[in-house]
Amino acid sequence: MQGFGTYVRAQRERLSKDSKDFSVRKVAMKIGVEPAFLSKVEREVVPPPSEGKIIALSEVLGEDQDVLLAMAGKVSSDLLKVIRDRPVLFAELIRKLKTEPDHAVLRIVREVKDGEW
Amino acid sequence: MIYLEDDCLEIRFPELHRNAGVSINFQRTLRLPDDGEIHHLPPGLGKFPLRHIEDFDLGKRNELKKRGGLIMPMFQADALWMYFNSMQETGDEDYPVAIKIGTGKVCAVSGEEWSQTLNRDPQDYIVVPDQPWIDGYNVSKGTVRQFVAAPLGQGYTAEEQLTGKASVGGIQIQAFPMKREYYDRINQKEDLKDSMDMAFCFDAEFSEMGLAPGGSMKQEIYDDPHDFEVWDLRKSERCFVTIANADQWMGVTGEEPPISPFTAHEYTNQGLPWFDYYGGDKVAIAGAKRLGKLKSAKHIKPTQGENFWEDDLPINNPKVVWTNKKEVNAGEW
Repeated sequence: MQGFGTYVRAQRERLSKDSKDFSVRKVAMKIGVEPAFLSKVEREVVPPPSEGKIIALSEVLGEDQDVLLAMAGKVSSDLLKVIRDRPVLFAELIRKLKTEPDHAVLRIVREVKDGEW
Repeated sequence: MIYLEDDCLEIRFPELHRNAGVSINFQRTLRLPDDGEIHHLPPGLGKFPLRHIEDFDLGKRNELKKRGGLIMPMFQADALWMYFNSMQETGDEDYPVAIKIGTGKVCAVSGEEWSQTLNRDPQDYIVVPDQPWIDGYNVSKGTVRQFVAAPLGQGYTAEEQLTGKASVGGIQIQAFPMKREYYDRINQKEDLKDSMDMAFCFDAEFSEMGLAPGGSMKQEIYDDPHDFEVWDLRKSERCFVTIANADQWMGVTGEEPPISPFTAHEYTNQGLPWFDYYGGDKVAIAGAKRLGKLKSAKHIKPTQGENFWEDDLPINNPKVVWTNKKEVNAGEW
């Protein structure tokens, strides 16, 4: 699996081709870190930042926050709470689902979305 | 919670009871002739496919995805009926659910513009399991005008006829469960007696469909047999079903659309059955005055091109079968 920093850098550079808003400096400002720190994260010189900074980064880059958190080796705190509330049940559920194909998992978890009408 | 399961919309309220929910599917059927006759109930010819709308690229109409919900293909002049089934997860009684049905945000029961709650006077909902299906607009007591697909923006749809606008289209569904305490009472009384992964790029202009009134049929919309207070107006689930022109279904989804069924005339000549429903002592509500004024799509002069309605051939001596459940059969086609 691609490293967190390498993935973030690739996505940011892709976006920066169309907009100057995605330079290291501007993205770092948006998520509230020093540009030098973000550069080190992208080069994987330092470990991924905190959960809050990763969620902010996902919003700036238009990425799924759970995917970025997983790439950083983290689980969002709301998911951790869910698991901690019923650890045996959810551990069993996740282990049972781990070998199921995506379509089978989607059948279990996918709701029909409501929108604006 | 709303899920899509085998082309059925499954609406559940698991926090209330395992039986609290309803499964809804959209059945393909024969288009009734609009010949002044009030026809019997047509058969079900299989479910229209339903898909999550966010999975597809609708080209210049991608803003339609903001409404969420599902997308379903219909050719113009295709007819449909909606089939409701209670969730039966336990041996208890069916859990009553009140359902509002809109087409272009015009209520198909009361004719009023869509509102996000239930209204009793006039009644703007049906009750499942008492009402197992609905085939059309509630135009008069005991009679509905069949739901028929029509292109949006040419004046055919109920929405356009009643509001003068073609801004919504599609089908809207909203379900309200009975409050748990009232359901428990029903059960006690009975004790005393004894339901993506590939996005296609769609370049052509996506054209949306709506539903228009078609031929007439015999069908009662039943009065709510419960007190209005039994409905839990704080809990509801809703879904927007966008209707895509079936000619574009392959371009949007990569799937073949269902073909249009044979005509009512051909069906009848093969000796295949029509249906009549015995509702027992259920009471029918009056037709909606606003809906009673609707013109059938056959009699609309479209804003563009020719009217799509083809000549009606007569239905002679239909074989009618009494039922309390319509037959759902894919048939031979």
